[in-house]
Amino acid sequence: MSVRTFIVDDTRLARQEMGTLLAAHADIHVVGEADDVPAARSTIEALRPDLVMLDIQMPSGTGFDVLDGLSYAPFVIFTTAYDQFALKAFELNALDYLVKPVVPERLANALSRVRERLEKRVFDPAKPTAVLGANDHVFLRDGERCWFVALAEISHIVVDGNSAAVHFRNQKAMLTRSLSTLEARLDPALFFRANRKTLVSLSMIKAIDLAVGDGYELTLKNGSIVEVSRRQARELRERLAL
Amino acid sequence: MTRTDLRFVLWNGLYGIAYAMFNVLFFASFGVLNTLAWVIASALGIGVWIASSTLRTLAQRRHWFDHGGFQLTLRLLAMVLSGATFTSLLVASLVSLAALYGVVDSGPAPNLGQQFGYWANIVIILGMWTALWAGRRSFHLRQMALLRAKSDRSALELDALRARLNAHFVFNALNNLRALINEDTERAREMVTRLSNTLRHALDYGAGDTVTLAEELAVVDDYLAIESVHYEERLRVRRDIADDMLRARLPPMLLQLMVENGIKHGIARTPAGGELSISAHRHGERLCIEITNPGQLPEDTAHRGVGLAYVRGRIADTWPGAQFTLEAIADGVMARLEIPQ
Repeated sequence: MSVRTFIVDDTRLARQEMGTLLAAHADIHVVGEADDVPAARSTIEALRPDLVMLDIQMPSGTGFDVLDGLSYAPFVIFTTAYDQFALKAFELNALDYLVKPVVPERLANALSRVRERLEKRVFDPAKPTAVLGANDHVFLRDGERCWFVALAEISHIVVDGNSAAVHFRNQKAMLTRSLSTLEARLDPALFFRANRKTLVSLSMIKAIDLAVGDGYELTLKNGSIVEVSRRQARELRERLAL
Repeated sequence: MTRTDLRFVLWNGLYGIAYAMFNVLFFASFGVLNTLAWVIASALGIGVWIASSTLRTLAQRRHWFDHGGFQLTLRLLAMVLSGATFTSLLVASLVSLAALYGVVDSGPAPNLGQQFGYWANIVIILGMWTALWAGRRSFHLRQMALLRAKSDRSALELDALRARLNAHFVFNALNNLRALINEDTERAREMVTRLSNTLRHALDYGAGDTVTLAEELAVVDDYLAIESVHYEERLRVRRDIADDMLRARLPPMLLQLMVENGIKHGIARTPAGGELSISAHRHGERLCIEITNPGQLPEDTAHRGVGLAYVRGRIADTWPGAQFTLEAIADGVMARLEIPQ
């Protein structure tokens, strides 16, 4: 399987060096490169690569700013010359980062981890109507803190005005996207719209109780309680009967 | 309970027993080693043991050793006096108790002078013991404080060294070199030399040294050549150095630090890059250096960071009358250093 790869670094020689290193891997195809945050965002959005080699410090912002503005979360390998602090903002197990000058063996290891995850991926960024599967990741950010979160880790999403609060791993992060755009990208087999404001992960439901009217009350694995409106109750019955 | 505490409990027990045994020997040497003598000796041993344990526990709990010196001595002395009083009272009450039950014949009560003599004796014994362990403890604490100060200083020096080496710059330079070796071997070789010069200079200079402007500019040239490889057309350098100032003297690495900051806060944060200008001219009897970069001063002054404080600290320490200012200009920031000659 070929991996469509994009390089972001503000220095031409650094991009060239990364290209040289990647050329040793036959399945890696560099589809483009960018030298700053705005250019990186727009080009990645247009080319929709699988993998981004992402420098952390750039003139007009950080690599996290690039990810924040994307409509999907590509696989990312961060690169930095010397930045002990920037990466601390990132609380995730899935993070891969390389220090420059990059040791070829380290790069090879990082790339094999990307290939492994690529195998399990449902979401294909190259297809415009692609939906996200349970193992696919979204990038979440709340102020200084950032996460890559698999859909399987999300318990529910609550919309408030123009932003949505994503609840996962007993934490919460805000997304500045409306619920309908979000819902369109989620696999309908995984999430269920419980009411006007809330999307619930079906695999996170622990108990279903009858509520006043014809509605239900869902208890989630993390202890949260979500009301199911009467209109949606019927759909829930049908979904669960399947 | 720490190991020192345990050691003290052991030694303090031995001390109590030793004092009791001394008194037994004393009575024996006068041929009066009767039950009364045993009661008095044991009471003395137990008394000084309790007094000295209490004393140490109090000293530890209330952190008397933190104050040190006079205050510590005063407190220990007060405790020794009351400890001796307590021990005397303990002896007196145990003897009366024993007499009450007819175990011993207490004989004639000692007069006031004798009582004072006994008490003074205990003060001396307890005082000597306290002085011994408290002295040891103070010495130990002083050694610890010295070691701690030494390790703090090493940590500071390590920080300073790290700042001098500018790791971000060095690793970026090495990464660029890897690419340059393929692209332009001659230039790569030249960059290795320049990087070596920069590193050697950063490591070699001492706090009290002075250098000429010409020497410092040579370092800056090497540094800027490496940064030009990194930033390419984003970094444009303009120099305006008055020839008659090349022999002027200044503290090493200050100009270099100002240029580094101009790049870090100016060029690196401006997408299109810009011009870094370095000018040096005479201003009366002073050398005046101005560095401008296309960056912006942070609004909130709290963020004007470590580098600035470092520069001010350096000139204040080594060059009375020198001045450093940082101000916003038309489209950038100007750092200005004036050094009396």
